[in-house]
Amino acid sequence: MAERSTDFDAIVVGAGPAGSCAAIELARAGKSVLLIERGPFPGSKNMYGGVVYPRILDELIPQWWEEAPIQRWVTRRSTMIMTPTQALTIDFRSQNWAAPPYNGATAYRPDFDHWLANKATDAGAQLLCSTVVTGVLRDSAGNVTGVRTDRPDGDLTAKVVIACDGVNSFIAKEVGLYGKADASNYTLGVKETLALPKETIDERFGVRGREGVDIEVVGCTEGVNGGGFVYTNLDTVSLGVVLKLPKLAAQKKRPEEIIASFKKHPAIAPLIEGAELKEYSAHVIPEAGYKMFPKLVGPGLLVAGDAAALCLAAGIWLEGVNFAMASGMYAGRAAAQALTRGNTGPDGLKPYLTMLDTSFVLKDHQKLQEIPHLVLSDRVQNQYPGFIANIVERMFRVDNPTPKPGLRRILLEERKRAGIRWRDLLRDGRTGMKGFG
Amino acid sequence: MTVVACLKWLTPHDADDRFGGISPADSSALEWALRLGEQRGEDVLAITVGPAAADTALRDALACGAQRAIRVDAVDELLSTDVAAAIASAIDGVDVSYVCCGDYSLDRGTGSVPAFLAAQIEARQALGLIEVVLGSDVIALRRLDGGRRERLRVDAPAVLSVEGATATLRRAPLSGALAARNATIEVVAGPVGSHLPTARRPYRPRARVLPPPKGGTLERVQSLLSGGAATKSHGVPVELSPDEAAERILAALDEWGYA
Ligand SMILES: Cc1cc2nc3c(=O)[nH]c(=O)nc-3n(C[C@H](O)[C@H](O)[C@H](O)COP(=O)(O)OP(=O)(O)OC[C@H]3O[C@@H](n4cnc5c(N)ncnc54)[C@H](O)[C@@H]3O)c2cc1C
Repeated sequence: MAERSTDFDAIVVGAGPAGSCAAIELARAGKSVLLIERGPFPGSKNMYGGVVYPRILDELIPQWWEEAPIQRWVTRRSTMIMTPTQALTIDFRSQNWAAPPYNGATAYRPDFDHWLANKATDAGAQLLCSTVVTGVLRDSAGNVTGVRTDRPDGDLTAKVVIACDGVNSFIAKEVGLYGKADASNYTLGVKETLALPKETIDERFGVRGREGVDIEVVGCTEGVNGGGFVYTNLDTVSLGVVLKLPKLAAQKKRPEEIIASFKKHPAIAPLIEGAELKEYSAHVIPEAGYKMFPKLVGPGLLVAGDAAALCLAAGIWLEGVNFAMASGMYAGRAAAQALTRGNTGPDGLKPYLTMLDTSFVLKDHQKLQEIPHLVLSDRVQNQYPGFIANIVERMFRVDNPTPKPGLRRILLEERKRAGIRWRDLLRDGRTGMKGFG
Repeated sequence: MTVVACLKWLTPHDADDRFGGISPADSSALEWALRLGEQRGEDVLAITVGPAAADTALRDALACGAQRAIRVDAVDELLSTDVAAAIASAIDGVDVSYVCCGDYSLDRGTGSVPAFLAAQIEARQALGLIEVVLGSDVIALRRLDGGRRERLRVDAPAVLSVEGATATLRRAPLSGALAARNATIEVVAGPVGSHLPTARRPYRPRARVLPPPKGGTLERVQSLLSGGAATKSHGVPVELSPDEAAERILAALDEWGYA
């Protein structure tokens, strides 16, 4: 693309984790960058489950843990397999995660995103809030040359635009980077923020000080394929479910009904008893991972974070913020290098793909590409939880005077009772091993 | 000459400035100031008495088209007279045509600053306006007691205070929004809150005008005294012997739930 005079070197759309990291990179490289956010402040419109894994910030903000607005450091991770009357929990605790450099942390998005965007403005990026980008500007050859906003006289030009506008990125769609939309690639996440005194949370979840808990649950969504989560903040608990969109529609269930029944489950109810509902929020998640990626580079355009469907939703892992921060950082870095070289056409921006390819962003997605589908499959959702819970129940049940059955017999009987075919069990096991192994 | 818009920054209860802002009435006042400025070909000066966070309100005003912004630095809560005096002193030397204020702020404001300010700068005042018409004259409609209205021609210099519904603040253009982020805000030292009364009174909600109740006076008194039970007539004239009458009274009391 020929060198032209523009309002900014780069415009980043969306001050979520992806956008702020892109802006940090560009500003630190000495480029003029405008970060446009539709909310009144960064993070004001954003929600998620509640756990961030900010290790990638080591590259951008050394010792980030000393200043990031963290609620609790996750020191306990539990995975719960549930049926309406049973729950099997695998619980892991590590004090190694309670001290620097930490691992996961709970944080509120209005705080975390705001903090990260401040890092971008500290680096010299300009932030413009309460402004919605309504479209992209393109030249006759189809190259992206800027953005249109909802303000009067609202056009701005730039040599590169980075779309970090979150799931359903209409910028990526407008430029034709996505194929046909398929609802089965998306899940709906709904969450309640429930207030309890800090001491009560510490006591019920078995933690102290700033230690926190992350519980992921399968089998708690009333037959709608999905999962549940419970995370502890300082004096609130984030509790929610993630639901596969077509299933939700087909079953004609309301998400709030599913949350209500999840909250009533005997394994969950005592944790949140007496809590006051502070907030109810909902958001769509690009869940299909590798299978739904759009083209990540367009003419004068890069796409990062949820806008590029880079969220990793693979059962025991629900990670989007770290993927957004990393992809945003690489997009900013690639854009800055392209600007320095004076080539912001698709060739010039291509190193972005190499950066993603050689980092965890695409490597994790590649490795785990079958997992989202497996985790949301009917068997994992509706048959395996009961199968597993019944095996465990029979292992621990004392049926005197009947002698204890062997595990092999229980397994065979329960497999039959659950109506699971060996073939499917083996296939799912193999898929799981390939992804997780 | 200059049109002045007075904006009060409201700090949220948890002192988180991300959720701060100005009242709808102040937004209207700013819009009227901008319209007056355009109509009369005058500059618009936005002014606030408040903490550094209040710069956000001034930047928004600059983004919308105000030419100048002054913040009288004040962190304490102040009496209306002090706020008015601080504004008057900050705009001393400015050739003021109109001053536009909101009629009262959302944080239990009393709406008295505009009146004190008018007195301080020796300007006319038209307060609590529900309509403003800008033609060759400024015509303002004022709410009076008992549902009456007063239409006034307000000549400069004057202080106007408007209700929030009188105008919707325009959307700042992109160029304005970008320029305002780095625009200069003049900061002048303000008063400290030494005059605040020490005894704090409990919150008394503002009186609201309600439609007159239905029904005649007697009915309403009866209804109030009987907890609503007297709205239907219970009186039945009967002639009974003393014993029967006593029985009847007891039965009625029983029926009404007094037994
Ligand atoms: C229920 C739920 C639970 C989740 N749980 C977790 C979790 O526990 N851990 C985790 O790591 N991830 C989680 N995620 C995923 C995570 O939230 C996302 O992957 C992450 O937020 C993506 O960041 P982003 O910057 O790409 O997009 P976003 O965070 O969506 O940010 C996009 C930004 O762009 C702005 N914007 C959008 N359109 C425009 C426009 N036209 N003009 C201007 N601005 C615009 C938005 O206001 C927003 O600020 C969860 C998601 C959901 C829905």
